[in-house]
Order: sequence, then C-alpha cells, then structure tokens
Amino acid sequence: MGEVAVLGIGMHPWGKFPEKNLNSICRVAVDAALADAGVSWKEVGAVAAASSRFSGGKGWGLNGNDIVEDMGSTGLPVYNLSAGCAAGSNAFNVGHMMVASGAHDVVLVVGGEKMPKGFIQTSGLEDETDPEYLRQRCVGLPGPGFWALLTRQRMEEFGTSHEDLAAVAVKAHKVGTHNENARFRQLFSLEDILNSNMVSDPLRLYEICPVSDGAAAVVLCSEEYARKKASNPVWAASSAVATARFDDGLPRGLGCVPSPWRTHHSEARISVAKALEGAGIGPKDLDLVELQDNTVYYELAFPEEWGMCEPGESESLLHQGETLPNGSMPINPSGGFLCFGEATTAQGLFQICEVAWQLRGEAGERQVPGAKIGMAQSIGLGGNGTATVLKR
Amino acid sequence: MTDSSPVHAAKDLFVETSDGPRLLGSRCDTCKAPYFPSSEACHNPDCDHSDIQPAHFGPHGTLWSVTVQNYPPPPPVVAPEPYSPYAVGLVDLETDGLRVIGRLHVEDPTSVKVGGPVELILAPLGSGQDGHEVISWQFEPR
Ligand SMILES: [Zn+2]
Repeated sequence: MGEVAVLGIGMHPWGKFPEKNLNSICRVAVDAALADAGVSWKEVGAVAAASSRFSGGKGWGLNGNDIVEDMGSTGLPVYNLSAGCAAGSNAFNVGHMMVASGAHDVVLVVGGEKMPKGFIQTSGLEDETDPEYLRQRCVGLPGPGFWALLTRQRMEEFGTSHEDLAAVAVKAHKVGTHNENARFRQLFSLEDILNSNMVSDPLRLYEICPVSDGAAAVVLCSEEYARKKASNPVWAASSAVATARFDDGLPRGLGCVPSPWRTHHSEARISVAKALEGAGIGPKDLDLVELQDNTVYYELAFPEEWGMCEPGESESLLHQGETLPNGSMPINPSGGFLCFGEATTAQGLFQICEVAWQLRGEAGERQVPGAKIGMAQSIGLGGNGTATVLKR
Repeated sequence: MTDSSPVHAAKDLFVETSDGPRLLGSRCDTCKAPYFPSSEACHNPDCDHSDIQPAHFGPHGTLWSVTVQNYPPPPPVVAPEPYSPYAVGLVDLETDGLRVIGRLHVEDPTSVKVGGPVELILAPLGSGQDGHEVISWQFEPR
C-alpha cells in the first residue's frame, strides 16, 4: 500500500443558507480544495462522496453525481457512500483506499448537507420495522434524550455536575470563536449555558449541537504526485472504519444486551483503536483530536473510552485547561459540533480539514502549538464509526 | 362524539398475560441472546446457529439511567395534552439479560432515581393525532 497525502482541503462555512442549494455549497468546498491542492478538475481520477440523506442527490443520495455534473462530466468513477453522520469520513476511507492501492493518483472526497429544521428526527414514515420510528412512537425519546440517558449515567457513575457539562460548552465556544467557518462564534459564560433551556434533562439547549448547512472537501493523492506538488504535505497515517459490536450495551433501537464493559459506543472505540494501530501510535501520542461532540457528554466520555486519559478524569482535565489548544490533551480546537452545528454527512470531512489545518500550522488563534499528529473521529446511525489519523 | 377508544402504539410489541404485562420479543435458542423487538436472525458473532424463538420479557427491572423530556417532541411522539414533561428510562430487566427503553409512569418525573426497581405496565402515553388514546409499555418505579 502506498502513502496517501492530504493535498488540498476546502470548506463552505457552516450556517443556514435558505437561499443556496446544496450543489452550490458543495462546489464552494470543492473549488477551495482543488485550489488549495493546486489540482485541476480534469486531474481528479475518482470521486468518493457522502450520500446526503436530507438533500437530494437526485432523490437517491447520488450527491457525488450532482457534483461531478457541475464540475464537468469527464466520465470519472463516482462512489456515493452512506453511513449516517459518519458518511463523510466513510467516503474519506474509500478515497484513501483508492489512492493507497494505486488505483488512482488523485481522488476528491466531498460531503455536503442542507438540513431540515429542528433536531434530527425519524424518516417521517410510519414504518414499524424502523427502530427509530418505534422509539419515537412507543416511547417518545428523540436524539437529545438518547444522549441525555448516557449523560445521566455518567453523572451517577463519576459525579459529573451540571457545571462540568456547561464548562465543556464554554470551552467549545472559547476556541470556536476564532474559527471563521463555525456558525456559532459567540462567547458564553457558564451562567449563559446553565440558563439555556433544559431540553432533555440533564442536557440544556447550548449543550447540544443543532443542525446546520455546510460542505467540506479533501483532495487525496499518491506520494509520487504529492512530491511534485508540495514540499511538506500532510499525510494520512491511517483511516479506519468499524461498526458496533453486538454486546456494547447501547440500545440503538428499543433494546440490547447489557454490556460487560463501560465502553458504550463500540464502533467509536474499535475504529479509533484500528486507526491508532495503523498509525503506529498510542492514544496519548495524539497532539489533537477532533471528536464527534453531538453533545458535551461525548467530549468527556470519548477520551476516556479510547485511553487518552483515565475513566472519570475528563472533568478535571477540562477545568485545568488541558483540552484547550495549548493544553496537554487538545480536543476540538475547531470548536466542534457545538460551534458548527451538524450538517450530518459533511461533519467527518470538516473534522479532517481542521486536523490538516492544525498540522500545517494554519489554524491561527486556535492553533495547537507544534501539532504533528492528530485524529478525526465520527459516528453515524446504524452503528457506523470512523477514525482518521493525519501526520506531518 | 369522536371515537377515542385506545389503540396500541405498535403491533406485536407487548401483551397482557394472566401473569401481567410482558414485552413480546424473541430469544436465540442456541446462545440465549434476547431480542426486542424480535429479530430475524441472531446478531451474536460468537453464535454459530441462529435459532430465533418467540419470548416474553419482564416485568421486573432496574433503572440504568433516566432522562426527563422537557419539551414536546413532534409526532409520531405521543405526549400528554396539555404537554407536561415525562421521564424515559433505560431499564435492565431482571433474569432476561435485556436492556430496554421505556417511558416511566410516575407523577413527578424528576423524582425518579437511577438504580431503583421498576415494573413493567401497559398504560396510555397520551392521545394520538387522530384522537385515539395510545397504549404502550411503560415502567413504574416501585
Ligand atoms: Zn444465537
């Protein structure tokens, strides 16, 4: 397998853009990534795209085909990947394999989404074979309620307080305020967060990521191609995909087998372990991590589940400032989902863009000093998990 | 007069037996893994022969975690009218080896304690959009 370079990265800022269609948002990200890479559209050998669930792709999630038509129908192969909110980084994994295998010298990876209003809901169909529908109809537990169950369990186990949860959101905005691509850039005090509406107890409105529109793109290329284009590119040290284990104790529908372990999102744990092994490093060797913070809970739980710190230690690291860009365990220097909002299938790629900017030293006020190796992690509906390690 | 006769929230997920309410699911006869709702095939990677048989679950369990739903979610969620916050729990059922979610049937949703005993009941969630009272499984703290 050959080395794979992350030659170009580009984003359309996150926000709500009722006046724009998805293709135009994606094209901004693609144009930026190609320009950043110094690559022309005709040099792209293949496209790996995240299938959008909410916004078209000919009504079948064929978003890659829409993008290719707008860029120029050169006849190149297109792969449309579906993995819930992990689709962007799932597409990255497929693009990575296509370059590493030698099948293509240059691959474009892209994900974009325009989201409907409100929290992410069911398909809207009254389908009794859809576990998400049954969970709403028979119990009444929306997405934030699911996260709230995990959060409450953590509070019981480790004594995590409402102030601890709010402090995660304060920290997210403290760094996200410096990110011109983030949607929510205002600063919040602990009181601001604690005064926001209780949504699903114990989670408050500002502790949960809302939905956004956005798009991100990455140009991957082979080592030989990278050497011609860039003196010191960012490299993909590893890219891993996993699905949930049978016995991880997390009921993704109505029920499950209780877990023998504390780890709940096994798809995250497994993909992270594979990515770290592929990169030949341990969890404490990472200079920064972009992790999927749909809610403040994950920023506390995930580093512990992956061995970056000890179980129950996250709150004290947070309060000591260790998860800030200049701390010992920087987490989500981009501001994370809390500052971006969730554009589902684009999320995995905005995380990869952020890690690449950090490794290039181009992250400005939110820069992790001397960052050499970082990880992006996402999870998606159906028990999909991905992790990507980039290095310089 | 509108017809407000009760309907079940979903087909074939729960039943009233002579011993009281039970959840309707299945269990793999080979590895004993429980499924709710029932599964077409056994998901256990260490089980080499999927043999799914109907099974009843409940009624006794322990509350693993709880949340209070403070805002009214949109349909298909069925909630009390006028809206009042309700609690949802994640319950480990005794002897069944099954963890299951369910609404909690309790006067004060904020009073519920994690780790406490709960019992399966069938009770209305509220009224659906068509005016029918909607019955589902719920857990009552004991
Ligand atoms: Zn089995």
